[in-house]
Amino acid sequence: MKTGVPVAVSFVAGLIMVVSFFFNEETTKVGGLSQELLNWLIIVGGFTLLLGVVSITRVNWSGVRQKKEGWIYKVFTLISIFAMALPSLLPESWSPLFGRSAGSIYDWLFVYLQAPMMATMFATLAFYIASAAYRAFRARSAEATLLLITATLVMLWRVPMGEAFLNLFPGDIPAWLNTYIMNGANLAVQRGIIIGAALGASSMSLRIILGIERTYMGKG
Amino acid sequence: MNIWERMQVIDRRWVYLMVALAVIIPFIIPMKFPISITPETQSLYDAVEALPDSSNVMLVFDYYPSTMAETEPMAVAAARHFFSKDCRVITLSNIPLGGPSMAENVTRLIAEEYGKVYGVDYVNLGYKYGYVSVLKGMGQSIESIFPTDNSGTPLSELPIMDSVVNYDDIAFIFEVADNATADYWIAIVNAGYGVPMGVGATAVMAPKFYAFVGAKQIVGLLGGMKGAAEYEILIDQKDAAFKGMDIQSLVHLLIIGLVVMGNVSFFFGRRKRSREKS
Repeated sequence: MKTGVPVAVSFVAGLIMVVSFFFNEETTKVGGLSQELLNWLIIVGGFTLLLGVVSITRVNWSGVRQKKEGWIYKVFTLISIFAMALPSLLPESWSPLFGRSAGSIYDWLFVYLQAPMMATMFATLAFYIASAAYRAFRARSAEATLLLITATLVMLWRVPMGEAFLNLFPGDIPAWLNTYIMNGANLAVQRGIIIGAALGASSMSLRIILGIERTYMGKG
Repeated sequence: MNIWERMQVIDRRWVYLMVALAVIIPFIIPMKFPISITPETQSLYDAVEALPDSSNVMLVFDYYPSTMAETEPMAVAAARHFFSKDCRVITLSNIPLGGPSMAENVTRLIAEEYGKVYGVDYVNLGYKYGYVSVLKGMGQSIESIFPTDNSGTPLSELPIMDSVVNYDDIAFIFEVADNATADYWIAIVNAGYGVPMGVGATAVMAPKFYAFVGAKQIVGLLGGMKGAAEYEILIDQKDAAFKGMDIQSLVHLLIIGLVVMGNVSFFFGRRKRSREKS
């Protein structure tokens, strides 16, 4: 029962979606059914977000109650979640501080706390990348040398100062890089990767629809 | 220990200091090197420019706050271009973490510049879970997926939505993304419904989208901050990306310099070690 029902649901839902691709969404029943399934997905997905909030609250609250190591950070996590979520859920008609519009508590916390913190975390990557490039990016083999030269040329091309430097040399190097590296070698490789990933996704979907792949149920 | 070996074990804090200086110096001394326009940016600009005035367009904010430095200038430039052509702009996001807020703040700010009115000239649909379902569902009816806007106002009460039912009524989609949602917009909306699309992507993602430009699935591409700066030049509104190019120039050159230094020290250090062995 625990295995059979999810496999059957996956099979039927998957089959409807595959078959509906060949029918008109608006004029056929199969098309309409697929649209209905997609609406269900949005609703179920909304509940998974709720489940996530419940789960993170339970885990962190039990950590706080038991005074586990780093419990003070769990307190901040809980305060942060509810400080952002609760005012955003209350109707704007009660107060301009509620809801998610400009000037609300949610918007203020997002603009002045969350966005700068996330941007700062991401910006620190520049320091690590510079340090890692200095220590690890070595021309140890022919392939690594090729990668290094290409990366250097593209990095130069993508900034005005580098482009001005490349223009000091004869021949239109920036145009050559765009034509032969980005729209040549890169494009060909990217297409290969995209097609390969699509084939992989298709075969994985087929395995799930046919009940061969069951890891989504926590089973091998 | 000779100089090459010492260079290989340099304290990483010196590298951090150099990066910090490379970021700070252009703020004090602007360099203003000329920025050339790539064909991908030019074709995206031309496609938007060719839209009939007052067209219905979608501007999609599929990026997280972490990449705002690269992506937000693209969204700002796109919003300016659309509003300057009196397009009716529909914004939405597939990013729960701040997407709707960024859409709200950017469009509100730019709309004020052009004297545009919310609900008449632009609307923010907000976020809805499950981008595959959302993108596919809007093909049938946008209102069935987003019954209300981001503030909870029913779409039926907003005049801008009077002439919009589904993708048939959308003339162009401008997707600004730092993640895989752009792939789904191309695969589902462009391929399935034939809506012309342009993509603004972070610099690390941009190489992937050359394949879609080549296949004419997207009309053009803005790659990273450079792409945004190019678009700012084209619409004659030099802003954050244009200013950021000096900083990016210096940091790129610093990283290239560090890679060269690292390799030089590595090879000379290796030569010394092999000499000592023999």
